[in-house]
Amino acid sequence: MLSLKNISKYHKAGSLKTTILNNINLDVDAGEFVSIMGPSGSGKSSLLNIIGMLDEPSEGYQYFLNEPVHQLKEKQRSALYKKNIGFVFQAYHLIDELNVYENIETPLLYQDVKAAERKALVADMLDRFQIVGKKDLFPSQLSGGQQQLVGIARALIVTPKLLLADEPTGNLNSKQGDEIMELFSKLNKEGMTIIQVTHSEKNAAYGSRIINLLDGTIESSKNI
Amino acid sequence: MIRNYFKIAWRNLLKNRAYSALNIVGLSVGMAVALLIGLWVFNEYSYDRFLPDADQLYQVKVNFTSQHDGKHTQNALALPLAEVLKKEYPEIKYVAQSDWNGTHGLMVGTKKLYLDGSAVGSDFLKMFQFPLIKGNANTVLKDTYSIVLTQSTAKALFGNKEPIGQLVKIDNQTNMKVTGVIKDLPAHSSFRFSYLFPFSFTETQEGWGNTSTDWGKNSFQLYAMLQPGVRYEKIAPKIKWIIRDKAPMMSPLKPEVIMQPIKDWHLYSDYKNGVPVGGFIDYVRLFSIIGVLVLLIACINFMNLSTARSEKRAREVGVRKAMGSKRSDLILQFLTESVLITFISFVLAIVLIQLALPAFNELTGESITVPYNIPAFWLAMFGYIILTGLLAGSRPAFYLSSFNTIKVLKGAIQAGKAATLPRKILVVVQFSCSVTLIISTVIIYQQIQHAKDRPSGYDTNRLVMSDMSDDLNGNYDALKNELMQTGLIEDVARASSPVTDIYSHTTVLNWPQKSATDETINIGTVRVSDNYFKTVGMKILQGHDFSTSWQRDTGSVLVNEAAVARMGLKNPINQEIGWNGGADKVKIIGVVQNALMVSPFTPVEPAIFSHGRRGNQTLYRLTANADTHTAIEKIEKIFDKYNPAYPFTYHFADDAYNQKFNLEVLVGKLAGVFAALAILISCLGLFGLVAYVAEQRTKEIGIRKVLGASIGQVWLLLSTDFIVLVFISCLIASPIAYYFIYNWLLKYEYRVTITPFVFILSGAAAILITLFTVSFQSVKAALANPVKSLRSE
Repeated sequence: MLSLKNISKYHKAGSLKTTILNNINLDVDAGEFVSIMGPSGSGKSSLLNIIGMLDEPSEGYQYFLNEPVHQLKEKQRSALYKKNIGFVFQAYHLIDELNVYENIETPLLYQDVKAAERKALVADMLDRFQIVGKKDLFPSQLSGGQQQLVGIARALIVTPKLLLADEPTGNLNSKQGDEIMELFSKLNKEGMTIIQVTHSEKNAAYGSRIINLLDGTIESSKNI
Repeated sequence: MIRNYFKIAWRNLLKNRAYSALNIVGLSVGMAVALLIGLWVFNEYSYDRFLPDADQLYQVKVNFTSQHDGKHTQNALALPLAEVLKKEYPEIKYVAQSDWNGTHGLMVGTKKLYLDGSAVGSDFLKMFQFPLIKGNANTVLKDTYSIVLTQSTAKALFGNKEPIGQLVKIDNQTNMKVTGVIKDLPAHSSFRFSYLFPFSFTETQEGWGNTSTDWGKNSFQLYAMLQPGVRYEKIAPKIKWIIRDKAPMMSPLKPEVIMQPIKDWHLYSDYKNGVPVGGFIDYVRLFSIIGVLVLLIACINFMNLSTARSEKRAREVGVRKAMGSKRSDLILQFLTESVLITFISFVLAIVLIQLALPAFNELTGESITVPYNIPAFWLAMFGYIILTGLLAGSRPAFYLSSFNTIKVLKGAIQAGKAATLPRKILVVVQFSCSVTLIISTVIIYQQIQHAKDRPSGYDTNRLVMSDMSDDLNGNYDALKNELMQTGLIEDVARASSPVTDIYSHTTVLNWPQKSATDETINIGTVRVSDNYFKTVGMKILQGHDFSTSWQRDTGSVLVNEAAVARMGLKNPINQEIGWNGGADKVKIIGVVQNALMVSPFTPVEPAIFSHGRRGNQTLYRLTANADTHTAIEKIEKIFDKYNPAYPFTYHFADDAYNQKFNLEVLVGKLAGVFAALAILISCLGLFGLVAYVAEQRTKEIGIRKVLGASIGQVWLLLSTDFIVLVFISCLIASPIAYYFIYNWLLKYEYRVTITPFVFILSGAAAILITLFTVSFQSVKAALANPVKSLRSE
């Protein structure tokens, strides 16, 4: 599904060069559930951002669905991730001014989906996550777990091939966290490729592979 | 998609009420000012253009060149020119003569009206096609004793009776038959007559003699209509030298015949060196600029407030981008938002305009309305909203949409701070405009005051002037006696013009010190009765006043100081000068102190006073203890007795004198109002801005306070930045204002000197206002309990 070859990322501030990722090689196949772990500052989020094409590597080759991402223009890249990648954030990042229904609907607007179809898709999603009753509530009226649920629903509405989650349970209590992980596990079984960044061994164990990052390099990668 | 944008914009609006209110109020005031000025400018431009065939209509003018006065342009022409233009130039379709729209008495039965009307050539209504409700433009002015009334004049004279065929007695002398009724003239017409009568009638009345053949009697106005398709440029060279060629006696003045198209009459009335250089158009342009500036200031508010609070929107931008929004989608979204706010502001602006229009119309003397029923207006307003929305929203839209997704989602970006410098520049732009307006307003008022402080040379206090008819002239002595007997009046006199004007001019051909190369003098002439100088309070500096008998004074005149200076007379008394074409020799018996009878802004022009029998004006001064209201009531009865054909009219000399400042006072008032609004809008923006800055710096303020900063120190910390900006604005505004106001003052020969004091004062005022605005928020921030602000971290 995706392949990273010799990916590096560094910042230059004057003569000082800060390396964030150093020569990363990583292949992820369709259907995998990868957990990226590592201490703070090891480059987990940067790696996830590069995979999600929100950020560009300083060096290296990157392929997604056999497309050479490093050669694509901004517009093409954006079109590629818009269609195929869903994001879930630690802080949910719902739009405060939109209600649950509208938040889930937003990505479809950016893909020019017709109104009737949008309606059907969002209705399906609300149904699937059993949040039909909350569709008119605003984010501030929901608990953290519920907000993240909406966040995931929003990520899934475009039926992505890859789901990226940056510490999706970081702001949740353990019960809510478990529920989200169960959901991820279930999604994975249905065929969704997932890459998550996590601090928690327990959450990492839901995945099929654990990658350990240290100082910008892959220290270990083991299948469970 | 768009609906989604509107929805989120609307919710944002409701969520941040204070911010939205600031934005909307500021923007709506700005839009109202710009729209009001726009309507006014449109009104000024629409003058006279409503007439059919307006492109072919012209007024004929002539340029005279003289050594002393240079080239000057006048509308007053001799009648033979009309005949030549009509007969010898096939390019010209019609020519019509006209007098100067004088005031005449109209009487029907016991109804008396005293209104302005013009004597016009018979083709006048074929050229200026004012719609006739009754009568035919080809025939209404044919008969010498006919009269055409405007609708309201007809209504005032005849009520609902049929006016056609009825008789109207004009000036209590001649019966004229009503042959036509014209629709009332629109307010934006340069013509201001209430009725028209044939030019041939005036010729029979006034006893002017050979005016129709005399090229020297430049006393009439001429209008011309070109044949369809003929352009003025084509005939301009052909008509240029008509007078020189036909009338050798006029050739020393090098008369050039020119024409001015009707569309320029209202706006381009000032001629310099024989070409139109401006006029009211200068003010139209000036206020157009002010309108745009005020709108710009309001838009800057919107930009600054939007970018300042961008931190709050940054996360939304990040999320949307992560979900696949293109930058263009975001730009569109933010622009939609600004257009929505602009739309709401527009609705409020329309309300503001409706509230302000009556006062504005009274101030400008126009009758402007908002043309709600014209589709083109709504189309223009649609464009106005969109354009304003784009102007105000473009910077926030481009700025907000530029945020880097990852940074804003991580909260790593201090979004508001990145825009600090452009924001500061925009604040400086705002305040530079505002301060420029303040300085200009102050100097305009200084100039008005400067001219008002100028000694007028006569006393306008309690001095009243009434128009005189033939009846009043005939009964003058009786009138005077009876007026004096009331005990309400100090003195009475009559003159050929009011004390605040000079109606006629003549030439002085010879005087004792005249050198061979010296040209004749164009001199203002006033025919006065005995007791005139005492009545109006003009000082006789040398010599003596006229005697009580005009017959004894036929060879005597008084002149003013300016005339003495112009002629260079060392001992003017008893010197003989030749005037009125040189035939009459008259002796100077006295010199009068210079008086501002014409313009308070120019040097006093030479004037000559002769003793005569008839007058156009009675002048009388009320006694100091007379109650004005009852005095006028009593005086009216006396006038009515001797003047049964006319209603009693009167003007106070001080009102008439103050009217000389009308244009300047209007400009001053408008500039003042717009300056106040500009500073108000700027301060609204600043108010919001300081609130956001204080919010951004809450933590910093908390820490500083914990470390021991006093409230005063925190207040200074937050205020200094803005005070510095306004100070910079004052530095920028001063030379700009100086440049504009200096050029404006050049219009006036008598003008105030610009002192640095004005700039310092205006700057200080602006800084004080800013300080007040800023302090409201900064003191609030300084007073906040640091424990609270730090705990939220």
